[in-house]
Amino acid sequence: MTSSTETTLAGPPGEPGQIADSGTAAPAELAGRSPGQLMWQRFKRDRTGVISAYVVGFFFLVGIFAPVISKLYGKDPYTLYGTNEPGLLNDFGYPIAPNGGMSSRFWFGIEPNLGRDVFMQLVYGIRTSLSIAVAVTLAVTATAIVMGVTAGYVGGKTDYFIGRVTDLLMALPAQLFFVAVMPVVTAVFVSPVDETPTYLRVVALISVQWFLGWMGLARLLRGQVLSLREREFIEAARVTGASSWRIVRRELLPNLVTPILVQSTLMLPAFVTAEAGLSFLGVGLIEPTPDWGRMFARGAEVYQNDLTYMFFPGIAMVVFIVAFNLLGDSVRDAFDPKAAR
Amino acid sequence: MLRFLVRRTLGAVVILLFISAFTFFLFFAIPHDPALLSCGKNCTPDNLKTIHHNLGLDHPVPVQYYLFMVRIFTGHHFAAGNCPAPCFGYSFANSEPVWPTLIDRLPTTLSLALGSMVVFLLFGLGTGMLAAWRRGSAVDKVLSSASLVLSSMQIYFVGPLVLALLVYNNHILDQPKYVPLTQNPVHWFSGLIIPWCVLSILFTANYTRMARSTMIEQLQEEHVRTARAKGMSGAYVFFRYAWRGSLIPIVTILGIDLGSLLGGAMITEWTFQLTGLGRLAIDSVTKTDLPMLMGVMLFSSAMIVLFNILVDAVYAFIDPRIRLS
Repeated sequence: MTSSTETTLAGPPGEPGQIADSGTAAPAELAGRSPGQLMWQRFKRDRTGVISAYVVGFFFLVGIFAPVISKLYGKDPYTLYGTNEPGLLNDFGYPIAPNGGMSSRFWFGIEPNLGRDVFMQLVYGIRTSLSIAVAVTLAVTATAIVMGVTAGYVGGKTDYFIGRVTDLLMALPAQLFFVAVMPVVTAVFVSPVDETPTYLRVVALISVQWFLGWMGLARLLRGQVLSLREREFIEAARVTGASSWRIVRRELLPNLVTPILVQSTLMLPAFVTAEAGLSFLGVGLIEPTPDWGRMFARGAEVYQNDLTYMFFPGIAMVVFIVAFNLLGDSVRDAFDPKAAR
Repeated sequence: MLRFLVRRTLGAVVILLFISAFTFFLFFAIPHDPALLSCGKNCTPDNLKTIHHNLGLDHPVPVQYYLFMVRIFTGHHFAAGNCPAPCFGYSFANSEPVWPTLIDRLPTTLSLALGSMVVFLLFGLGTGMLAAWRRGSAVDKVLSSASLVLSSMQIYFVGPLVLALLVYNNHILDQPKYVPLTQNPVHWFSGLIIPWCVLSILFTANYTRMARSTMIEQLQEEHVRTARAKGMSGAYVFFRYAWRGSLIPIVTILGIDLGSLLGGAMITEWTFQLTGLGRLAIDSVTKTDLPMLMGVMLFSSAMIVLFNILVDAVYAFIDPRIRLS
């Protein structure tokens, strides 16, 4: 059954030459390798890909081990160091030490007015932002698979209906929709008089982005399923009496792994920046939850007097997004070496 | 052509109807009472009831939606004032009809969108074509990696950075603000040049990549090879033949980008304190001004849908082989 996967990844059936010239990893001896192994070998040879994978991995480790880093560093993102200790902030609330108060004690400086530790805020902010982005990516990918495969495989009225819903959602201005709907979604769960708990804000952030995120991938998968559906191996499975569920699970999905993985790798950084954008506009997470995007909102308030505050979050984000985009390109090349660069 | 336009317009109207219904029900699903906002501090139940009635909130939601749609075409006399024909309702927050406010904010957004379009088309297509022209060379590599890094810059980071470096610390450029073009073209330009450039950073890389890959594709086409074989110069072939074929994918993404830009570039407008449609939307959210928000949403969706149709129509001009309808 997995032979179908092999054909898509290594070239159309009946063209064994394709394997040799597409995969640098498959030399003349033609040892039996699974598509996954081939992909891994191609990926390992891509130096840019490996380096960016390390960078991306580093950010995820920072996010995961934020509490450990906090322990080792000896500070947390909530304590108001500047207000508690005199001599750190001047009368206007700005750090006294040069470069935003950077020192061996406060590596990335301290926040104006409140006097929190910027390094700790960034580490925990990365943790928050990445968790949300990962959750959105998982939700979006799952929905896109369900919608795309259903539309493509069932066809007929179902396909038409899903297609129209996709059209409708695509015509909505996404960013405006996020901003406009965030308060609505939170208001559904909690009365505006009460304080919105942080976890509800997170749920709202995830659901809003999920709602308008799945259409692109769903459309792509539908197209793939439409063409796969007519292929011989699906027909053969159907003739032997396989149920639709089995065909989808064992025949279709293994052939969709490539677009799903590639697209979700490209999706994740977009969700990180979108979430940060929402927090920047003031509709995302609020104080005191540390958040990558809100650091920019704070930075935009103080940049005329303390530009260094947003310097580290900004550089970190540029590095993260560049690395993730490069990683996405490399994953695509490794899976599908024929795709034009 | 006419049949195509009529059919697509009807389709667009249907989509817009669905969007308006969707957003309307979504916004009025808020358990929060909008009348409370207009009522102010000394709010008595009697007062609240009058406001409820004046805003039409005492009707069931489907009736409210029906009235909303009808009033777009007929206009309506609200207790707070008159709202002539394209009546998208009356703002809860500042007691002004929605449509004139939208029209009032539109020039800012329009200037921002069109200006940045010029910038990102110039730079994007220019660098993309240059990279394709010198494919594989150092120039290509530098341009491609520069565009990758630039596309990863976020407006909320670059915006304040540029402002701090060029405006506040060194006074090289003017502080961004919107001056109508008709009032003073020079100030219009100098006030918007920073927002244009910063906004186009996000887009330029897309166009660079697109222009590069389509140009490379086009240069391998047979008619281009024939033209070269006839002895035409490389530059002539490049600009006369190959260039045309790469227009279609570029027009496609340009349509999408312009459509969404004309609905307001929220982060840019927020960063540079420009009062366009995006800023209006954010302010309306903080004031729970639902009619205004609804107006901006409908306007932006209409722009996206309109530009989808425009793109399809433009295809036929670029490539006569594409038949409409």
